[in-house]
Amino acid sequence: MPKSMSVVREAIAGDEADDAMAERAVAEQVAAGRKVLPIVEGVVLVAALVAPLVLQDYLTVFATRVIILALFALSFDLVWGYAGIMSFGQALFFGSAGYGVALLARDLDITNIFLVLPAGTLIGLTFALLLGGFLLLGRHPSSVIFVSLGTLTGSYAADRLARGWYYLGGQNGIPSISSMTLGSYEFSEGPPFYYLVLGLLVVVYLLCRFLVRSQFGLALAGLRENEQRIAFFGYKTQHLKAIIFAIGGAVAGLAGSLYAFHEGFVWPNMVGVVVSTQVVLYVLFGGSGTLIGAVIGAVIVEGVSFWLSDNYREVWPIILGVLLLLVILFRPLGLISFVLGERERVGSFGGKSRKTGKEKRDAAP
Amino acid sequence: MANAFVAAFEILSFGAIIVLIVLGLGIIASMMGIFNFAQGEFVLLGAYITYLAYAKGLPIWAGMVAAPFVVGALGFVLEALIIRRFYAAPIVAMLGTYALGLIIRESVRGLIGGFYLTVPEPIGGSIDIGAMHISAWRFTIIVITALVMGGCYLLLARTSFGLRVRATLENPSLARASGISTPLIYGATFAFGAALAGLAGALIVPVFSLFADLGLRFLIQGFVAVMVGGVGSFIGPVAGAGVIGTLSAALPWVMAPVVADVLVFVLAIVFIKFRPQGLIAGKGV
Repeated sequence: MPKSMSVVREAIAGDEADDAMAERAVAEQVAAGRKVLPIVEGVVLVAALVAPLVLQDYLTVFATRVIILALFALSFDLVWGYAGIMSFGQALFFGSAGYGVALLARDLDITNIFLVLPAGTLIGLTFALLLGGFLLLGRHPSSVIFVSLGTLTGSYAADRLARGWYYLGGQNGIPSISSMTLGSYEFSEGPPFYYLVLGLLVVVYLLCRFLVRSQFGLALAGLRENEQRIAFFGYKTQHLKAIIFAIGGAVAGLAGSLYAFHEGFVWPNMVGVVVSTQVVLYVLFGGSGTLIGAVIGAVIVEGVSFWLSDNYREVWPIILGVLLLLVILFRPLGLISFVLGERERVGSFGGKSRKTGKEKRDAAP
Repeated sequence: MANAFVAAFEILSFGAIIVLIVLGLGIIASMMGIFNFAQGEFVLLGAYITYLAYAKGLPIWAGMVAAPFVVGALGFVLEALIIRRFYAAPIVAMLGTYALGLIIRESVRGLIGGFYLTVPEPIGGSIDIGAMHISAWRFTIIVITALVMGGCYLLLARTSFGLRVRATLENPSLARASGISTPLIYGATFAFGAALAGLAGALIVPVFSLFADLGLRFLIQGFVAVMVGGVGSFIGPVAGAGVIGTLSAALPWVMAPVVADVLVFVLAIVFIKFRPQGLIAGKGV
């Protein structure tokens, strides 16, 4: 059985297989020409900018939701795609921020955009710091499985809590949240809200891009590829992970507060496992480890499901599952890896170096 | 006295259900190192097959007998086609099995719609001990769980198949060099774990009724139980399942169910954090 033997050998020498894959991707990258990433980003940005001009009103509302979800996907991509932390509970930060701003609007009548968005971000950050600090820090490094189960359990527990807590509206959540305000202006659904969200996405995207292309980001990429090696270089890997986890939580919190105001209500699913896994789908689909991949994944998954849900409502989730399986099996880096090589994925560091990404990571510290 | 006995029985029967569900999950996690996110959906499939037999007019027990075999066969095929590719990377395995689970869950949802379908208990009525009445079917579940648990232990600890499985777990290269077909062993182990999930689904469907998210409910509980018990042995996950099952059934008697539900998870995660090797450390049976 030569085939199955080779599989088992791969299990033993998984690292070698990774290296081979990386080399192949670099070769593809060279073949495709350099600097594909800015082109992809530019195309997506232009498409996003003109979208409300060509779309009907109800589609603009839908597009706004997709952009918010793309922002949410970005937060998951930071923790999984860059630091290799499998957060199966990203919705916890998304949803708790949503609930937080909903309570602000309901009980304290605070809807000012300059208060609610930072508040939501802060809620996401706080929860991520608490959960991430607990799960990731400590005397013994936590296993990947433990972190993923811990986040999954956190999300599940939050879901149960939200369902049972009368103050949070129980099963029904909190309906009819008033609109976000800026002075006397109210952001209701439509193009202004769309451009607000898009602007925030661009800002957050650029900040994240700066972050992952900094030395911090390269250390994170190294962490994802080979945690032990980075630890041997003297980085405190647990601290790096906790920091990126908290940042991811903050971004998810921002997305969650926008989502709450856009939809006008929050409900327990928002903190639950369903939304948590949804965001995993986006990022795996689009391509983890590239920020734009997360955005594209969210747009494609949501777009196609919107398009198909009229006629193929029952079949679509099954198709999604099959496609996801195919992507995981044959395109572990997601759809974006069709146009983007490993080298641009990691990014360049130290100017016009001609070294491959892997050597560069070794040289980084 | 009578109340305490009924409470104890409820706790015991729920603990047995959790143990039954975790058995397959624990065997796959311990023996193969794969956290199978599709396990909940194997439970769902077992439940669905039982329902199908009932809906077609066959006796319910026929469906219950068929369920583990059908789900086990499916597990064997899936292992050969898909799971086999994941051994190198446990995280990818989680995602891949999650995708598999998604496919199975949504297929079943498409077949049954968003309904809660009930299946009657094949052994109805109650057992009366003096003034106390306990459900006969729940009692049967406890008995079957005990039998299956004992059977699994004997299979892994006392038979040559069990020896091969443990050898493959301990040192795959040496096992191969000794003439054990490790891919076959992996396939058989996965199929066995899947069959146990199918059996669990078949047995619990009269208690919980059939709905598409049936498996999801138990999946997280099952994983937490496996981690609490300790990955790597057979007895660890079973012990973890006993603890988690007992706690989640017992705590609602003394506090609000919502708080109890969440508290069990919090306690479990804190426990795993400070004792990562679980209740029972070590490999083997």
